[in-house]
Amino acid sequence: MSIAAVGVAAPEWRVPVASIDAAWGRSPGRGTLAVCRSDEDPLTLAWAAADRAVAAAGVAPSGIDGMWWGCTRPPFAEGPSWSTLAATLHLAPEADGALLSGSTHAGLDALLAAADAVAAGRVDTALVVTSDALLPATGTGHETSAGAGAAALLLRRDGGPARLVHTAHRWEPRLDRYRGDREPETRETYDGRLFREQAYLPMLGAVGDALLVDATDAGRWSLPDPDGRLARALAKRLRAGTTSAQDVAAADRTRLGDLGSAATLVGAAAALGSPGPLHLLGVGGGRATGCTVIVDAPVPGAERVTADLSGGEEVAYTRVLRSRGVLRPTGESVEMAVPPGSAMFGRGAGEMLGLLAARCVDCGTMNTPPDVHPTCISCGSTKFDVVPLGRTGTVQTFVVNRTMPSPFEAPLPLVVVDLDDGGRIQLQGGDDGAELSIGAPVDLVLRRYAVERGVPVYGWKVLTRRPVAGTDEEVTS
Amino acid sequence: MSWNRVAVVGAGLIHMGELFDQSYEQMARGAFDAAVDSVDHGFDPTAIDAVFVATQRGTLWGQEGIGGNTIPSAIGLAGVACTRVENACPTGSDAFRVGCMAVASGVHDVVLVIGVEKMRDKSSDEGLLARAAAGHPVYTRGESAPVLFAPFATRHMHEFGTTREMLASVAVKNHHNGVLDPYAHFRNEVTIEQVLAAPPVCSPLHLLDCCPQTDGAAAIIITAPERAADFTDRPVFVAGFGVATDHPYLHEKSTYVGLPATVEASRRAYEMAGISPADVDVAEVHDCFTITEILDIEDLGFVEKGRGGVASLEGETVLDGRIPVNPSGGLLAKGHPIGATGIAQLTECWWQLRGQADERQVAIRNGFALQHNVGGRGSGVSVVNILTTNAS
Ligand SMILES: [Zn+2]
Repeated sequence: MSIAAVGVAAPEWRVPVASIDAAWGRSPGRGTLAVCRSDEDPLTLAWAAADRAVAAAGVAPSGIDGMWWGCTRPPFAEGPSWSTLAATLHLAPEADGALLSGSTHAGLDALLAAADAVAAGRVDTALVVTSDALLPATGTGHETSAGAGAAALLLRRDGGPARLVHTAHRWEPRLDRYRGDREPETRETYDGRLFREQAYLPMLGAVGDALLVDATDAGRWSLPDPDGRLARALAKRLRAGTTSAQDVAAADRTRLGDLGSAATLVGAAAALGSPGPLHLLGVGGGRATGCTVIVDAPVPGAERVTADLSGGEEVAYTRVLRSRGVLRPTGESVEMAVPPGSAMFGRGAGEMLGLLAARCVDCGTMNTPPDVHPTCISCGSTKFDVVPLGRTGTVQTFVVNRTMPSPFEAPLPLVVVDLDDGGRIQLQGGDDGAELSIGAPVDLVLRRYAVERGVPVYGWKVLTRRPVAGTDEEVTS
Repeated sequence: MSWNRVAVVGAGLIHMGELFDQSYEQMARGAFDAAVDSVDHGFDPTAIDAVFVATQRGTLWGQEGIGGNTIPSAIGLAGVACTRVENACPTGSDAFRVGCMAVASGVHDVVLVIGVEKMRDKSSDEGLLARAAAGHPVYTRGESAPVLFAPFATRHMHEFGTTREMLASVAVKNHHNGVLDPYAHFRNEVTIEQVLAAPPVCSPLHLLDCCPQTDGAAAIIITAPERAADFTDRPVFVAGFGVATDHPYLHEKSTYVGLPATVEASRRAYEMAGISPADVDVAEVHDCFTITEILDIEDLGFVEKGRGGVASLEGETVLDGRIPVNPSGGLLAKGHPIGATGIAQLTECWWQLRGQADERQVAIRNGFALQHNVGGRGSGVSVVNILTTNAS
C-alpha cells in the first residue's frame, strides 16, 4: 500500500485567540485559529483537500474507486454526508468507502480502513479524507483551541513514493470531548492536564513505543494537540525510550488551532515531501492509533502544503460568532422557495453538487443546469451529454449585493463567469468581492449555500485567483 | 400605417405611495373611478363587458391565490368577465395588450384593464427582497431585484466608460419630473451629489439608483375605434405593440450591455405601428434602476448603443430634450407598483398625447408615445405598446 499524493486545506479566516479571551475577560492567549466562514464546513474543507490530492496525483476522479472520510462532526449528523462529498468529487458511481466519525480518532480510522481496503484488493485507488471544523461551546476554553482544516491522501496498491509499514493501537474507556445526540456544540468535559497525563499520554506513549520497536530511526511524528502541550509532553515521554533525535510536531497548532480528526494528516502533509520515517498518531474517544509511513521520495502535493496553509485574513470574534450562527438577527429568516426534501432537490442535487452542464451534441453549448434545459439555448437541439463544467474562468460581469434579508449575509458578490471550457455560469462569490473585476481570472470552489430548514445545501462559488507572495504560483483567495 | 384597431377612451390612476390605509380593493376602486371620470362624454360602467386585471405578485400581501376575481366585486361589476394577467414587470403593459386583442377580435366591446399592486403590506424583508431566496437554490440564490440589472451596469461602465454620474443623471431627471407629477410617490428633487453619496444597495447601484416599493393602481378603458366616438371626440389609438422573451438565467444572456427582449419587443411594435424610433415624441420606459433607463433608450433605438449614459447626462431625455423620457417621474420617482406600472405609464402617454400633462407636457410633433416594461427572471420578458393620436 502506498501514498501517491497529498492535499491540505484550511479556511482563509484567522481569529486571534487573544480577541476571544478579551471578549470573556481572560488574560490573552497566543496564536490564531483557522475558522470557517458561514459557507464553509467540514464537507467543503474535505472537498478542497481531496481536490488538491487528486490533482497532485494526476488521476481521473472516475478512477477513484473508494473514499474513506474521517470527520468528528460530518455536516449531516445522520444523512448523505459521504455521498454528497463523493458527488462533488465525481467519484466512480460504484465507489466503496465509509464515513468514520464519533470522535477525533476518526482520522486514523479512515486512513487504516482505506489502507486495508487497498491491501485487500477491494479497491485500486482510495481517497483518504480527514476534515474537521470543531464547534466549541461559546465562552469556554475549548473555543480558544478549536480550529478547522482538512487533509487528504491518495492511496494505491504499490509503486508510490511512500508506504505504510506498521500500525499500533491502544484503547481505554476515557471520556474526553463529548457531544450528546441533541447537542449542537462539543463539550470539553475534561481538565486538560488530567486527560493529557492520564489518558492521552499513556495511550500515545504505548502506541509510540510499539511503533519504535523495529525502528532504527525515531523519525518524525505528527499528532493532534488539543491543549497545545501534548506534543511537547509526548516528545519528552518518547525520548526516555530511545536514543535518536525526534521531531514531534502538531499541525501548525499555533496558527490553525486544533484540527481534531484532521490534525494528524495536516501535520504530516508537508513532511511527506522529504524522505525518512514518519509516525502518525491519532487519539480521541478513548482510543489511540499510530502508524508508520516510510517516505522514499517526495509525495506529490507535499510541495504546496505550506502555501495552501499560509493564507489568513484576520477576522473579529464577532464575525466568527455570526458565521457559526451564534449571533443571529432577531426575527424570521426568508425560506428557500424549494425545501431541500422536495423532489426538485432529488432531480437537481447531482447536477448542483457535480457542477454539471448539458453539453449540446450538435453545437457544443453548455446549458446549465441540465434539468431545466431540455432544449439547447443556442441551436434548439435536444441531444446532450451531461458533463462537469470546468472550474476556471474569467469574470464577465459581477455585482456585490448589500441588501438582502436574513439568512443572507452582506456583502454578497454575484458573478457571471466565462469558463475556460466555453461554459458560462452565474454563481455567488466566496468572499466579500473586493478583488473582483471584469476579466479577472477566477476559480470555482465548493461552498455551503445555505442551511435550509436545518439541511445544508452545497454549490459552487467564485474566488478571485491571486499570486502567492514570493512564488510564481497563484492560489485562489 | 399604424394598427389602430383599438382606441383608448379613458385612463386614470391613484396617487402612488405607501398606501398603508388602503386595501388592494380600495386602491382598485380609486383607479377605476379615476378612469371612469376621465371619459370625456361621461361613462356608464355597465358598458364594460370584460375586465383584465394586472397583479404580479399576490404573495406580497399574502394572497397568492388571487385570480383577479375580487376586482369586479370591488368596482361594482360582479358578474362581468374577468381574467388576471401575470407577466413579471411587464404585467400591466401585457394585460393592456391582451385587452387590446380581446377588443380587436370583436369578442369584447368595452374592456377595462386595471393594474393593482400591494407592495408594502409586508415589511421590506418579507416583501420583494425575499425574492433573493426564490428561484433556483444555487444558480439564482441571492438574486434580489437589483441583481437582474446591476451586472449590466458593471459591464456598461467597463465597455463604454459609463460613469456613476451618468447613472445619477437619470435619477435627477426623473425626480425632477416627479415633482411635477401629482401622482408620484416621491415629489422631491435630488442632486447628482446626493445620488452618488447614497448608501450602496447592490454595487454599482446605490439607493437613489433604485425605484422604491410602492402601492398603487391604474386603470384604462378601451374599445373599438368605431365605438370611441360614443365616449370622446379625442380618442387615442393603439398604434402597435410587441412582446418578446429571452433566456431566463443571467448566465444565458447574449450581451451584458443590453436587453434583447426590449430590442425585439420594440422592433415588433415599431413594425406594427409603421414607425421608426425617430417618430416617437415621448416615451415612458422601465427605469426600475437608473441603468435600466440607459439600456432602454439604447435598446428602443432612441440613442446609439453605448451612448445612453452620455445622452442622459447631456439632457437629451429631459422634458424639452430631443426625446423626452419618463415625464411622469418614471418608476424611480412615481414608483413601481408592478401590475399597475405599465397601465400608469400608458395613462401618462394618453395625457401627453392629449396635451393634458400640465407642467410636464412635452412637445407632441408626430403624435406617437411609447410605453415599455422589461423584467422577469433574467429580464427575460419585455412589452412595448405604442399609442397615437393619428387616426391612420
Ligand atoms: Zn446547441
